[in-house]
Amino acid sequence: MNLKRVMAMVQRYFYNVKHSYDRLTDMFYWPLMDLLIWGLTGLYFAKLSGDSQHLTTVLLTGIIFWIVTWRAQYEITTNLLSEMWDRNLVNIFASPLTVYEWITAVTIFGGLKMIISLLFSAGIAFILYQYAFFQFGWWLFPIVVSLVITGWAAGFVVAAIIIRFGMKVQTIAWAGAYLIAPFSALYYPISVLPDWAQKIALIFPSSYIFEAMRQHIFTNHISIEKIIISFAINLVFLVLSISLFVYSFNKSKQSGIIN
Amino acid sequence: MSQKVLEVKNLTKKFGKFTAVNNISFDIKEGEILGLLGPNGAGKTTTIHMLLDVMDPTNGSISYFGKPLKGNRSEILKKLNFSSAYISLPWLFTVEEVLNVFANLYEVPNKQTRIKRLLSEFEIEHLRKKSIHMLSAGEMARLLLTKAFINYPKIILLDEPTASLDPDIAVKIREFLRRQQKEYKVSMLFTSHNMSEVEEMCDNIVFLNKGKIIAKDKPENLSKQIPESEVEFITINILKAKKFLESQKISFVQNKNTFRINIKTKDISTFITSMTNEKIEYEDISINKPNLEDYFLKMSQRSKV
Repeated sequence: MNLKRVMAMVQRYFYNVKHSYDRLTDMFYWPLMDLLIWGLTGLYFAKLSGDSQHLTTVLLTGIIFWIVTWRAQYEITTNLLSEMWDRNLVNIFASPLTVYEWITAVTIFGGLKMIISLLFSAGIAFILYQYAFFQFGWWLFPIVVSLVITGWAAGFVVAAIIIRFGMKVQTIAWAGAYLIAPFSALYYPISVLPDWAQKIALIFPSSYIFEAMRQHIFTNHISIEKIIISFAINLVFLVLSISLFVYSFNKSKQSGIIN
Repeated sequence: MSQKVLEVKNLTKKFGKFTAVNNISFDIKEGEILGLLGPNGAGKTTTIHMLLDVMDPTNGSISYFGKPLKGNRSEILKKLNFSSAYISLPWLFTVEEVLNVFANLYEVPNKQTRIKRLLSEFEIEHLRKKSIHMLSAGEMARLLLTKAFINYPKIILLDEPTASLDPDIAVKIREFLRRQQKEYKVSMLFTSHNMSEVEEMCDNIVFLNKGKIIAKDKPENLSKQIPESEVEFITINILKAKKFLESQKISFVQNKNTFRINIKTKDISTFITSMTNEKIEYEDISINKPNLEDYFLKMSQRSKV
């Protein structure tokens, strides 16, 4: 692993953001819109139900923390796509850069952008709804890390499909993370899902995190067990997803899709 | 004797039942420029992609500096680079940004000095702050060459490096490449559809057709494999000339008083003597000996049969 090459790729993706308004929009516009629409919806339902505190907090927590997973996935896949759009894949992979260095670069860069998006969203939620992002205290750290890993794992699965089958399947770069959203129980408990969906939800680490966060909102306690389970599943998912990506990358080198 | 910088042995690439590159072997020595020629679909780009390790061969081996590419990838690619008319660069970036990223990827020492020197060498210093998508085709070709030389490569793969360049710039680029070869012993693999450029630049040529090497020699030796030369003469004795050519069973193309024939190079003197004996006077005569382009055309036509 050569850190200079990793940082060269981080620099390459930084220039992407600098020159592309799309990337800036992704970081700020969509989180802002989600917070406005769902936050106000939450406030309205809270007034109707007479529960002014918990309902809005659950919705806002779901929105803000889903940004973590979504952005982590999105950054990996769109950075891969940007190489394909720019027809730059041969240039970077004919250089000494290894596929593991590329993986490290996109995770570092995606992580940085995710932190900016997360802090921005938390700030907006505080300004608009007095939402206390830091209410989770030190638990924020494992919560965010776990959700980031889920996003990375989803990102590498999606990237594996894109590098194997090319740009004809690029739409999954945007849709990818949303496939696991219903089973992650962002705004509702797993128990409201149908039986078959509950079983699927149990294999997604994000579902444990969102359950733990709701538990904290309602009881002020958090289930360490749920956090540990999420990390254990995440570890397996991450190893499998990176292996799948590297396998697909090597397969595409055989079929000649990297051009 | 110069050491081998690149050694390709029994390289094969199959896509399903189709064989794009079929058991080819060649090498490039230090400071050698090897031309890789062939008609479209001959397997040139596939070969280059395998040499760059962006495509895996089905069989065979690639070694640089005596070490196999597999297992020494990063170490080798640090000393290798390429330029291709068919590859792009991040189109929203400025010239300077692109070069900075690649200089960092290749860990170039004193990168700003290197970038400045190359930009000046390729006469694109004034484009430093310009976006890639604003560059003309010729400027883009020069930027790709700048990127290709950024890491002081020991060997460089150039796929149509002078395509879309104005002739005067193309001359300067060829001079630059020659200097790199002579002063720094940079080895090159060179593809081009400009045969006079290939003849000028390349020390040796590998001719690919349908994935196979059908010829491997010096450019002048390949040209000699075409036995016939083209003879064109202008005469006032049109009828006599026509009768003579028909009697000799030499096929010809006539345009008013100009005749064009193809004749074995070794028979040209006999032909001219016979014309003189027949009292066929010619105002002008030109003999076009076969060149690499003729060889290329002949081989390409053969591949279509």
